[in-house]
Amino acid sequence: MIHNQLHPLNLPRRVQVQLNNEGLPLAVASDSVLLPGSTVEKQLSDVPKDDVKSVAAILEIWRVEDEWWRQPISRRYVEVVLQGGRHVVLYEDLATGDWFIQRCD
Amino acid sequence: MKRAARLSRGKTVRNRVASHRRTNLSPYRSAGGSTNLQSELAVCIWLPLFALRCEQQRRSEFTNDPTALLAVEDVRRLWQVSPTARRAGVKAGMTVSQAVGLCPALLLWEPDPVYYDVQFSNLLLELGNVSPVIEPGELGQLYVGVDGLQRLYGSPEDQIGMIQHTVTVWQRKLVAGSRESRANIARDGWKTRNRKWELRLSKGDKETEQAARFCVCTFARFGWGRGKFTAWVAATRANPGEAVIVSEKERVGFLASQPIAVLPLESDTHRRLWRLGIKTLSDLAQLPEAAVVSQFGRVGRRLWSLAAGAVVDPVVGRKTPEPIIAKVDFSHPVADRTMLSHSLDRLIEQALRHPQRAGWRILKAQVCARQENGTSWVSSATLNDPSADRRHIAAPLKIRLEHAQFVKAVETLAVEFTMFARGTDELQLFARDANSSARAGRQRALRTAVREIKARYRRSGLYQIVEVQPHSRLLERRYALIDYDP
Repeated sequence: MIHNQLHPLNLPRRVQVQLNNEGLPLAVASDSVLLPGSTVEKQLSDVPKDDVKSVAAILEIWRVEDEWWRQPISRRYVEVVLQGGRHVVLYEDLATGDWFIQRCD
Repeated sequence: MKRAARLSRGKTVRNRVASHRRTNLSPYRSAGGSTNLQSELAVCIWLPLFALRCEQQRRSEFTNDPTALLAVEDVRRLWQVSPTARRAGVKAGMTVSQAVGLCPALLLWEPDPVYYDVQFSNLLLELGNVSPVIEPGELGQLYVGVDGLQRLYGSPEDQIGMIQHTVTVWQRKLVAGSRESRANIARDGWKTRNRKWELRLSKGDKETEQAARFCVCTFARFGWGRGKFTAWVAATRANPGEAVIVSEKERVGFLASQPIAVLPLESDTHRRLWRLGIKTLSDLAQLPEAAVVSQFGRVGRRLWSLAAGAVVDPVVGRKTPEPIIAKVDFSHPVADRTMLSHSLDRLIEQALRHPQRAGWRILKAQVCARQENGTSWVSSATLNDPSADRRHIAAPLKIRLEHAQFVKAVETLAVEFTMFARGTDELQLFARDANSSARAGRQRALRTAVREIKARYRRSGLYQIVEVQPHSRLLERRYALIDYDP
């Protein structure tokens, strides 16, 4: 028997982000192109320039604190326009410090 | 409250069936079709969730799963919900996102109103063997006029038994039509049921059990009473597969105890009555008629009459239309089969547009041709499912036309619709609606495509986007893909 399963769309994808002094993203690189164990700054300098997208503009910043009653969610979202015009949402998981990327609706 | 007698299937039914087969005659037919097609005594047959049950019949492998049909007009909302899904909190009218949030395993099906209409027409056609006075209500609800049938079938219990048997016959045909392999299982299930007059299935016979579970008739409820309203209320009070009979003596008392929700009310009127403390038909009937009319107008008068049992609304049958003929005289005799086939299409279209045809589906059609040498040719086709669809009607006639051995070219071509089956007015509107028809057509094409892909790759690999929590602050929770299995 076939059972329908829900496959969530727009799942967040882990990325590496280079930040400025204010903690805002300057550049984004795919998680897969980075060398494990190295610092973000070092990684971004190591990867080919084509795999790194610099942030052209920051549009909006907001925070989400949710579901504190079960698995707390604490995120800092930054809506950005990447070099080339791609419009994405980046967020930092404040519990782990990891950065993720999602398409903008 | 004088509660009407409940009726289960009885052994007498079988005797009546045999008697019916012997005589195959009804008091209406004996009068040669000139009788009045009205009947005050009515049997209401109510098949709740008719469309969903038909769909489950087609997809019997999902019978045990929580399922829901999407609304015809708005595919983001649910139309009918299976009991399994209802237990998970899913309700008709909910949005898909709400429903999937409550029940992630919910199977969503796009509706196929044309198919349900055909099945309902078949049921009406089958019931035409019991009584000529048939009046369809909304989908899954219909009335059978039974005035004078006591001489043929006996007491109201026996009349109900005859109707139950007829619904069972229709059910078997539905099963046979939807899936031949499943049909054998279902027929066995029904044989078991008919022999013992109750549903007894051997333990472990899961297939039979499953087949019986999706039998529409198991869920049919029957009500017998004077007037459609009484019969309808009685049917709503019956247990699945059973009947409630309301005799004339009991009628007023039976109605008095019913809640006002049984009245054909708009929600505003219902709310107003409720706030005025009027909760049963008795409460309403005790008010002066003039007071109700002053508050609710013409609707109020109708409601008061129904509540007091002062009005008996008869079942009104419709006379079958006379044969409809459309013909064309060719200015130059035609021998080209493609041309004849094209003309046949146009003639069927023309005949379908005939005003007499409205509300009826075609059961039997024939094509006639007159040749140059004065000889003629005729061939008829009886459709398995009554239809008002040109292509459906044309298909068997075209095959006959292609195989016809004409000696000379054809001078005159005619199409004649000779037998009709009643359709539901509501769904005929659905079927006429271009969008619904297009959607149903797309649905059929997709179903075929998916079947072919599945046959090759074992799974369709097709998905549909559904809204889960479209306003969630977490983007990944807004939309999801769900297996697409039309």
